[in-house]
Amino acid sequence: MKVLATYNIKGGVGKTSAAVNVAALAAADGLRTLLWDLDPQGAASFLFRVRPKVRGGGRNLVRGRSDVTDVLRGTDVEGLDLLPADFSYRHMDLALDATGKPTRRLRRVLAPLQEHYDLAVIDCPPSISLVSESVFDAADALLVPLIPSTLTLRTFEQLSEFVDAEVDRRPDIIAFFSMVDRRKRLHREVVETLPDGRTDVVASVIPAATEVELMGVARSPVVVHAPRSRGARAYAGLWAEVRERLGL
Amino acid sequence: MPLDVPVHSYALPDGVDPPALVSFLAERFDIETGPSAPLAFVVVDTADRRVRDAGLDLVLEGTRDTALVLRSQPGAPPVTAPAGRARRWMTADLPAGPLRDHLAPVIEMRALLPLARVRADVRCLNVRNEDAKTVVRLRVATHAALDAEGAPAPLTPRIEVSGVLGYPRPLARVVAALTAEAGLVAAPASMADEAVAASGGDPRGIRSKVDVELSAGMRTDRAALAVLRELAGFAEDNLPGTLADLDTEFLHDLRVAVRRSRSVLREMKGAFAPEPLQSQRDALKWIQAITGDTRDLDVQLLEWDELLAGVPADRHAALLPVRTMLARHRAAALRKLKAELRSRGYRDAWAGYRAFLDGKQGPARERPDARRPIGDVAGERIRTVYRKMVALGSDIDDTSPAEDLHELRKRGKELRYLLEFFGGLWPSSVAKPMVKTLKGLQDVLGTHQDREVQADHLRSLADELAGVVGGPEALLVLGVLVDRLEAEQRAARGHFAERFAAFAAKDQRKLVSATFRGPSG
Repeated sequence: MKVLATYNIKGGVGKTSAAVNVAALAAADGLRTLLWDLDPQGAASFLFRVRPKVRGGGRNLVRGRSDVTDVLRGTDVEGLDLLPADFSYRHMDLALDATGKPTRRLRRVLAPLQEHYDLAVIDCPPSISLVSESVFDAADALLVPLIPSTLTLRTFEQLSEFVDAEVDRRPDIIAFFSMVDRRKRLHREVVETLPDGRTDVVASVIPAATEVELMGVARSPVVVHAPRSRGARAYAGLWAEVRERLGL
Repeated sequence: MPLDVPVHSYALPDGVDPPALVSFLAERFDIETGPSAPLAFVVVDTADRRVRDAGLDLVLEGTRDTALVLRSQPGAPPVTAPAGRARRWMTADLPAGPLRDHLAPVIEMRALLPLARVRADVRCLNVRNEDAKTVVRLRVATHAALDAEGAPAPLTPRIEVSGVLGYPRPLARVVAALTAEAGLVAAPASMADEAVAASGGDPRGIRSKVDVELSAGMRTDRAALAVLRELAGFAEDNLPGTLADLDTEFLHDLRVAVRRSRSVLREMKGAFAPEPLQSQRDALKWIQAITGDTRDLDVQLLEWDELLAGVPADRHAALLPVRTMLARHRAAALRKLKAELRSRGYRDAWAGYRAFLDGKQGPARERPDARRPIGDVAGERIRTVYRKMVALGSDIDDTSPAEDLHELRKRGKELRYLLEFFGGLWPSSVAKPMVKTLKGLQDVLGTHQDREVQADHLRSLADELAGVVGGPEALLVLGVLVDRLEAEQRAARGHFAERFAAFAAKDQRKLVSATFRGPSG
């Protein structure tokens, strides 16, 4: 099982949108896919109409006191299961801190699911904390949405340096531009200049599109309810690049 | 595999049509109804139904851009791959990817074949909870198997109910409504099995394991004939696939059925009159002989990759002329085999054998064992062959010629078949350990003999190889291959003493004497 985590220190950059759409596309490709909604806000769980509740809460989960297979929920997308959010995840840092080897904990939670899934996608909360360090340890790759701005490169390089310096098992970093508005000159310039031969920024660009924003109304991934839309096609391109990078 | 969710399949009783069932469900649940969709597909499996026996479901969908679609169970995401236009698919014909990865260890050397054409009308329904989330999936379908002219044979209409992970209660409520209220019962067979049966096939696939009900008191001639008729059926079932060269196992299974038949005729010879018996044994011996060359070459080619594993990778290319030569010899042997199997000689020989099995047997005075109970006769034979093997094996030492081991192996096959066909007349606590130690012994004897045959065959290519492009280089590497085969043969011989000791252990000898006594024992 490959583990892909959508991550950015900032919120509102398209992490959840990327996670749910990539997970739905992976399932449509026939991969047995799990989405772990690790964000206590529970946006991914909301999109899949699953109640954000994990019996025993995040604390028991990371301590290995809950059977992770008991808390999984099938989604409306065939082949895609969800490990839902729980409001107790807001204290996940504390729960992890109270365990031995806290940065290895999330990998251990996923271990029993290894044989059941080909891909696990983790939708991370925005922060840099013990939770994110544990995610970095569990992940084979970080999928990092970047909103084009003057600070984008700096923020992204900070993340790369942090991962290089602090994480023993360094995940691959796959960044992509998210919520891109081609009408804005700055967006166009950053998208065209930043990659500059970098291999960690892929070619796919996710547009700031109405249909992507409407996912919360439709309560389903855009690749499911509007598969021919511009946004859905962009996620399909992103997934194709991610899949190749993961070797799936 | 994904985490299991329960799946139930129910047959719609007579008088209940799919729309009525949908209305029944809509009155009780929040149902999201999908459109009714016509589907056409082909059930695909190996001739012996390996895909089905592995709990998988494989179909060919589409007309122009065909795709093979594999499901581990309803509701599981399908794994698909482009199929192209083919009459069969070997593992190597499947595009690299998840479908091939799933199927390769299941089908091994067998071909995937179209077994039944099906037309279906399917309506998907979702049962939703108060958040409008799907909590149970339903699939109501009518199917018809199509014959060669496209005429439909209706199959049982059915409803498949698939749970959604984490939502067991709604599933229980739907199942209760369908069974307790609507009175539906589980579908007796899968749709694919029904379609194969409606298309004239055996849902279990071509069989190779004899399944005849025998009792210890049954007359020996009747018991032997029942087994022989079943084996003759296996040989007949495998003839068309052999002639069409669909895969190597049709010929293999045909040969196994003939070899086993010869064994029964030999071991139960007292149940038959000497004259027709000898002619029929000769006829089967001839069939075994005409099929031998092709099978030997099949084995060489099937084991080619394994054989190469013992040669450094950078020398593999040098062996290409050998591989090409084997394939050419195989094609020539197959042409000859097909001509023989289509000849009047074969037809007459088989018709004569069938008449022997189905006709009246000779006078009782010429068949001393015919009326004796099979338990007595088979018990005697098992004991006698076992004792003979113990005697033969005890004489084998490091200086014995290879023929002695070969002779022992032949006896071992006799014993194995006797135990396979008639061992069920005794408690499994006796036959099982005997089969286990016999199998252990036969494995080393088989390896010993097979490696010798393979090495001899490769050596026999030397003259021909010398005259082809790349031949001299191939000959050098061929020497490495032959050395390796000889080393494996020596290793097998090295294991003989230990395996034979287990087979001929004192406890087992006592058990055989005490169990397989026969009336005089």
